[in-house]
Amino acid sequence: MVIQHLTKQYGRKRVVDEVSFEIPQGQVLSLIGPNGAGKSTVMGMISRLVAKDAGLIHFEGQDLTKWNSRELSKRLAILTQSNNIQMKLTVRELVSFGRFPYCQGRLQPEDQEKVDQALAYMELDAIADQFIDELSGGQRQRAMIAMVIAQDTDYILLDEPTNNLDIYHATKMMKIVRRLCDELGKTVILVLHEINYAAFYSDYICAFVEGRVAHFGTVQEVITKENLSEIYGVDFEIQQVEGRPLSIYY
Amino acid sequence: MKQRSLQIKALILIGLAVLAVIGYLTINVNPKYAAYAMELRVPKLLVMLVTAFCIGGASIVFQTLIQNKIVTPCLLGMNSLYALIHTAVVFFLGSSSLIARHPQLSFVVDLVIMGGAAILIYGTLFKKMKHQILYVLLAGTVMSTFFSSMQTTLTRIMDPNEYDALLGSLVASFSNVNSSLLLISTVLITGILVVLRRELKLLDVLALGKNQAVNLGVDVDKTNRRLLLGVTILIAIATALVGPISFLGLIIANLSRQLFQTYRHSWLIFGSALLGMIVLVGGQLAVEHLFAYSIPISVLITIGGGFYFLVLLLGKGRQQVW
Amino acid sequence: MLLRVKSTLILTVLLMVCAAASLFIGVVDFSVMDIFSGNWEAFEILMISRLPRLLAILCTGMGMSVAGLIMQQLCMNKFVSPTTGATISSAQLGILCALLFMPGSTLWVRAGFAFTAAIAGTWIFVALIQRIQFKDVVMVPLVGIMFGNVIGGITNYLAYKYEMTQALSSWLVGHFSLVMKGRYELVMLVVPLIAAAFIFANHFNIVGMGKDFSKNLGVSYNAVLFLGLTIAAMITASVVVIAGSISYIGLIVPNLVTMFKGDKLRGTLTDTALFGALFVLISDMIGRVVIAPYELPIELIVGVLGSLIFLILLWMRLNGKGRFIKKAEGGCKG
Repeated sequence: MVIQHLTKQYGRKRVVDEVSFEIPQGQVLSLIGPNGAGKSTVMGMISRLVAKDAGLIHFEGQDLTKWNSRELSKRLAILTQSNNIQMKLTVRELVSFGRFPYCQGRLQPEDQEKVDQALAYMELDAIADQFIDELSGGQRQRAMIAMVIAQDTDYILLDEPTNNLDIYHATKMMKIVRRLCDELGKTVILVLHEINYAAFYSDYICAFVEGRVAHFGTVQEVITKENLSEIYGVDFEIQQVEGRPLSIYY
Repeated sequence: MKQRSLQIKALILIGLAVLAVIGYLTINVNPKYAAYAMELRVPKLLVMLVTAFCIGGASIVFQTLIQNKIVTPCLLGMNSLYALIHTAVVFFLGSSSLIARHPQLSFVVDLVIMGGAAILIYGTLFKKMKHQILYVLLAGTVMSTFFSSMQTTLTRIMDPNEYDALLGSLVASFSNVNSSLLLISTVLITGILVVLRRELKLLDVLALGKNQAVNLGVDVDKTNRRLLLGVTILIAIATALVGPISFLGLIIANLSRQLFQTYRHSWLIFGSALLGMIVLVGGQLAVEHLFAYSIPISVLITIGGGFYFLVLLLGKGRQQVW
Repeated sequence: MLLRVKSTLILTVLLMVCAAASLFIGVVDFSVMDIFSGNWEAFEILMISRLPRLLAILCTGMGMSVAGLIMQQLCMNKFVSPTTGATISSAQLGILCALLFMPGSTLWVRAGFAFTAAIAGTWIFVALIQRIQFKDVVMVPLVGIMFGNVIGGITNYLAYKYEMTQALSSWLVGHFSLVMKGRYELVMLVVPLIAAAFIFANHFNIVGMGKDFSKNLGVSYNAVLFLGLTIAAMITASVVVIAGSISYIGLIVPNLVTMFKGDKLRGTLTDTALFGALFVLISDMIGRVVIAPYELPIELIVGVLGSLIFLILLWMRLNGKGRFIKKAEGGCKG
């Protein structure tokens, strides 16, 4: 996926300003930056939830807006922060929705199989028949991820997946992200606030400041003392832990 | 197992509806005049069935579109437009004019005007308003306040005799519907269902919320627009057929949701229509035999529905977020 | 500072000019000269009909827009108003009860009924919306409209049962044609109520920020909330008793004014009152001129102008222009 000169304006304010980068296939890419830097908006435009004002998004050789919506939903999945589904829905039913692009609601045996695999992968078998409004935040998040897995797309976009999770569940979530990439060969794109999660679990990092791409590169290239101070306006210390840069700030 | 419990509940509902229908057909019927009584009562029942289906189905779809269970399609403003059309006809043309006297003609006039308004507000305006459904709804309610202010203005300066004649047509009634209207309505409803067959299948996914629906490959804006237009036209048909009934949709849609506890809209719509049948037939029984026609059924339903609405509001308050 | 005073000054001057002009519009033509040259007939018309009408219009315009502004501030929602907050429909129910149960009652007794019902209705509505967390600010007025429909349903039922529908409709449509000396003085109640609103303006502002916020500043949340709602409901009821219901003013005028002047209540209150009076006055003049010598009810004129302006406001909000949007995002806190 290639992004060129992507721009979004709200009123007179340019929230995303001529953003260009390329998404490396089969890797985990994290979008980081301070509040209001435009990372979630970029994510929204990549996932077609937000309409772009200018620029191009090339996805598999074709303009993203030219894609047939249903075909695209077999290639690219997005999970946003706001997921307060208000339906009486069991975990299994929710995960089954992931097969909707393939079967339009009528589950075939192979769809059933994919659903079972996704449930097993996320260790949800035990609670598969519980209603999602009875689950804890971490469980619900896992159920949503299982749905995305069942959707069986090459690209998975996650908007702040660790939001509202405690340290245990957030770390678990990041490990899942890593596995999605390593074991299932997915291309994962994340919006993250936690720099250290980004540094330890992703391959590439794209840092935004005021609607522009400030830095793009591998973790080691981007996560440096100078870069981070410039992005966030706070002093940073970097220590190498297990070959990755751990940033310390206070 | 879940499927099973849905089926049982549906069977119970069907049983209740059949019971209500039998009750309605047989209570206080002198066997000697049975044939005559059937001739009077069967068409009424058919009208109720069509109305229940229109309002019940439309309400479920409407609630899913709005993502909120305490709304009713009476917010769409078709009621006040209907009242305005009829008042204007009587005011400008007189109660003895052709349109006022001729039921088929007035039905067609109602439908054309309401359909036109629906396309204008919920089709074109919706598009222009960037498919923000709540905003177009607010715009719709503003228009409906405007319609009713025109309507009340007209009634205030109207000849009281004409007003009495008008009042009859402003109150919902199942009695004066003739069979040709029933036929036209049925054909129209079938047509809408055929046109919207694809969108109706997407309802389950739409209920997941806009982001999820987009993610799963649904063209949400277009689907919403077509469904909203369909809902409005269904309500327009029901209103043109029997007159304005507010809050019926709220009652039956919520009862259906509470009863079936499922996300699957085919069941919800089915249940809602059946419940509508039960409420209407039961209400009509009460009006005819308990209240001896002293209050119209629509008023009964509005008041009952109003209290149900308050109960829902307070109940939801405790559970918060919807 | 200068700008603030400037807008107020301009509005005052405009209002005075229009008010003077409106005195000389009507079926019987007379001019300023007639008054001063001692034309007794002209003077009588002025005192019995024209002046009362003008005063009633000014009170209505100021009252309804201030009532709307107070409700919007207290609920922190730009869409709440006497129309969308069930105040008007409750007042109508009150009047109907007075007509039914005390047929020979005076205007003041009817007003008493209307006050009680309007206050109760508004309180119940606000209590309801505070119990619920709304995902979207627009849900609040929609719930209000449905709540108003419930009350309207009861009113209709009673009216239908006792065959009062057409009699009731004179309270459903706002109009000033029956306003004359001896029949309108009640609407003057609006003046002390607006004065009270001025005194408590800062309190309303604080309460609008939420329960915790006001507690922190030592303001009794419930007391001020109920005081504010009571003032708004009483203003509305006095207007409904005299002139019938006039929708939109309470919704549109405050929104237009805040678009230009911001949300500080003290600063906008004067302008809102002035602009509301001007809006109703101009609408009334249009209604009197269009099909003279007959007149259109004010409700119709305000309805046409109001719904147009409201749609434009919605439009601007959607396109991210103007301040109509930003401040409304808070929803109704409680």
